[in-house]
Amino acid sequence: MKLNKTFLLLFIISFLSFTPHKYYLSLTQINYKTESKSIQIIINVFMDDIETALNKDYAIDLQLTTKKELKNNDVFFKKYLKEKLHFKVDEIAKNFTYIGKEYDGDLVYFYLEIENINQLKTIEITNNILTKHFPKQQNLTKCKLGEKHKSILLTQTENSAIFK
Amino acid sequence: MKKIGFFLFSLVFAANSFAQTTKEGHTNKNKFRQLKQELPTPNSERTASGAPGKKYTQQKVDYVMDITLDDDNTKITGAETITYHNNSTDDLSYLWVQLDQNVRAADSKTPDISSSSIPKKMNKAKFEKSFPEERFDGGFNIMSVTNKDGSKLSHTINQTMMRINLAKPLASGDIYKFKIKWWYNINNHRTQGGRSGYEHFPKDGNNNYVIAQFYPRMCVYDNVEGWQNDQFWGRSEFALEFGDFTVNITVPEDHMLGATGILKNEKEVLSRKERKRLEVARTTFDNPVIIRTQEEAEKIEKTRASKTKTWKFFAENVRDYAFATSRKFIWDAMAVDINGKTVMAYSLYSKEANPLYGDHSTRAVAQTLKTYSKYTFDYPYHKAISVDGQMGMEYPQICFNPGRPAADGTYSDRVKYTMIHVTIHEVGHNFFPMIVNSDERQWTWMDEGLNSYLEMLAELDYEENYPLKRGLPKNIVGYMRGDQSKIAPIMSKGDNVYEFGNNAYGKPATALWILRETIMGKELFDHAFRTYSQRWMFKHPSPADFFRTMEDASGIDLDWFWRGWFYTTDFNDIGIKGVKKFQTNTTGDTVEFVEDTSKGLGFVNKNENSKYHYEITYNKPGGLVMPIIVEFTYKDGTKERKTYPAQIWRYNDKEVTKVFSSLKEIESIMIDPNLETADVDTSNNSFPKEKTNKFETFKTKIKG
Repeated sequence: MKLNKTFLLLFIISFLSFTPHKYYLSLTQINYKTESKSIQIIINVFMDDIETALNKDYAIDLQLTTKKELKNNDVFFKKYLKEKLHFKVDEIAKNFTYIGKEYDGDLVYFYLEIENINQLKTIEITNNILTKHFPKQQNLTKCKLGEKHKSILLTQTENSAIFK
Repeated sequence: MKKIGFFLFSLVFAANSFAQTTKEGHTNKNKFRQLKQELPTPNSERTASGAPGKKYTQQKVDYVMDITLDDDNTKITGAETITYHNNSTDDLSYLWVQLDQNVRAADSKTPDISSSSIPKKMNKAKFEKSFPEERFDGGFNIMSVTNKDGSKLSHTINQTMMRINLAKPLASGDIYKFKIKWWYNINNHRTQGGRSGYEHFPKDGNNNYVIAQFYPRMCVYDNVEGWQNDQFWGRSEFALEFGDFTVNITVPEDHMLGATGILKNEKEVLSRKERKRLEVARTTFDNPVIIRTQEEAEKIEKTRASKTKTWKFFAENVRDYAFATSRKFIWDAMAVDINGKTVMAYSLYSKEANPLYGDHSTRAVAQTLKTYSKYTFDYPYHKAISVDGQMGMEYPQICFNPGRPAADGTYSDRVKYTMIHVTIHEVGHNFFPMIVNSDERQWTWMDEGLNSYLEMLAELDYEENYPLKRGLPKNIVGYMRGDQSKIAPIMSKGDNVYEFGNNAYGKPATALWILRETIMGKELFDHAFRTYSQRWMFKHPSPADFFRTMEDASGIDLDWFWRGWFYTTDFNDIGIKGVKKFQTNTTGDTVEFVEDTSKGLGFVNKNENSKYHYEITYNKPGGLVMPIIVEFTYKDGTKERKTYPAQIWRYNDKEVTKVFSSLKEIESIMIDPNLETADVDTSNNSFPKEKTNKFETFKTKIKG
């Protein structure tokens, strides 16, 4: 019986007649580009959610897009992404380079790159972005290898996928 | 010339000749077929033009209520007399009443319809809320349902609804009066959620009450649904009848209160000082005048009055009633000129919301009334209140809004714009659905979508370069290209859709924005939208009435647009598949087209007497039909724009070929350069194909 009560709360909180975004979703786009022999990764997340998560995890106050925005915040974004995102190319773990971030409305875009990939058969991604503080977070992950497009919805419990 | 004509003519049919011949027949699948099968047959209540017909009827319900708020026990008690006017042509053997508070009753089925699972861990406070020892009972306790003479009236409660069993049917044109008495425990909306409730301030021990759905309300009876028979599950909101409300609200003597309706006993409830300030506000159009100051409110919130006082209101022709009350409230007011009529904009807020509310709340209310009146009809009520309710919820003449500054009184632009955004949105709901009274239970988009669209115009009026978010075509792309198993058409009931915000707010707002900016043009759209608003003010429009009016008043058939954007989850993706180049050789009376097969858009040996002729093939991986907006950039740097109406896709939904001839050489071609059409994949929008993608452009920028 008690279980039924569990989500009364979460459910009712989402009833308001106005929705700032009210759903928890990020988008990760992975693209292998033959010409540059690199895997290009663009991730977008909701600004307020990523700010909440980083503020809690690192005891900071980011104040994104305000005059009081924490300087050098790329250090924290890089650290966070390195903790939450892991890639394997042809079953070998690969590090990514954090190129930078940009803001667009209520979204933050991150640009990451894995260089010196002459060829590949598979990419494995483990994606734990925002799932710690937002249990309902969904991380839509799309991958383009050659002409093949694939996408999968990753969650707190199902957090990794292999693209072939 | 004749030959070119024939050439173009043959291009149109070229596509058809590729089609394979099949033996099977088929029904009409053309995306431009009319919506006859989706829309109800017009009748004398709702006409084919989308206007209310000669036989349109609507019920009327009047309420006389005495409400008492028990601050110590956070309880509400009420007694109401309902006068139901059966204006329909039908005799009614029973009446249905909505008991919305039962959504938080201990036996509510709402929690039972959402799945649940056990998380690995959660913090203790959250655990105690999620796994309470005893479930909070916030449902209605109906003490009595009686006839006007006090005799018992038979009734049956079915979850969030109650049937009044009439001894004999209520004849068409007749009036029925009955009484209900009730009480319920008010929920703490900050910890338990909800559209109504109280917020507790541990520091001073006070509660801010924002109270709504607090009385048994009549269901709508109409010729579309009959009696509403769809329970309140929590998300899909309300359908209500218009009527007159006489309401007396008894609260602690030291409370400041705001409510729907005209305050009838100002002298009994406001101090002389406050009444004087209010007089000043009534002729002050440029700045809010403070009626109760922060200093006064701070003094009041430190003590507790033991006595009560009663605020008396009368509201004419409203569909619902709500109020907010607290001893913490600061109050400011400003006059707004709506075409020569003065309307008051009010804000009620606790010191915790200041200076954010003092700076922006009343101004945002005023701007909303002005902008919305411009695009719909003059705001017909006497006031609109924004309350620091820390949610976002709308009622006639009053709404509850979020946003507070940091403890030191500063606030970021993000907090500021979110607060203004929601305030405009909720005040905007005064127009949709409080006046243009669509059925929210069935169609969330009819109020949320239309309101989210108009809200963008009010935001742009509030501040030049206001940072718009939801509603711009480029911002819906992420949703529309998403996982199809998690997207529902706009024409779905709110309770059943996955991404409520995008489904019922963002996508319909974008659809209207695109109609106005790109497909119909501002003038035709605004006229049709205003026509719809005025036809259906104080009435109950259905989706068909909106679709039909927008076409009827603009002279533009939009069935294809409604079908694609509202009835399907299709997205827009248009690309350039290829370009062929030609020049002409004229000998005698024959004009010969000679193809230049070199790469790119340049010509190798260009004959000076010939124009530049380009045969461009556009393809459409997306399911939506949309106009093709093409920008041609000439070698000399100048640009030319050409828009082909969506109907270009009517013979071939996948691919069309079109000739463009010019006097100058073209260097590049781009589709939808201003991102007006929510094209989900812009990598196929350019010819020659852009070599650098978004990632590389960013990387170059960073590396300098």
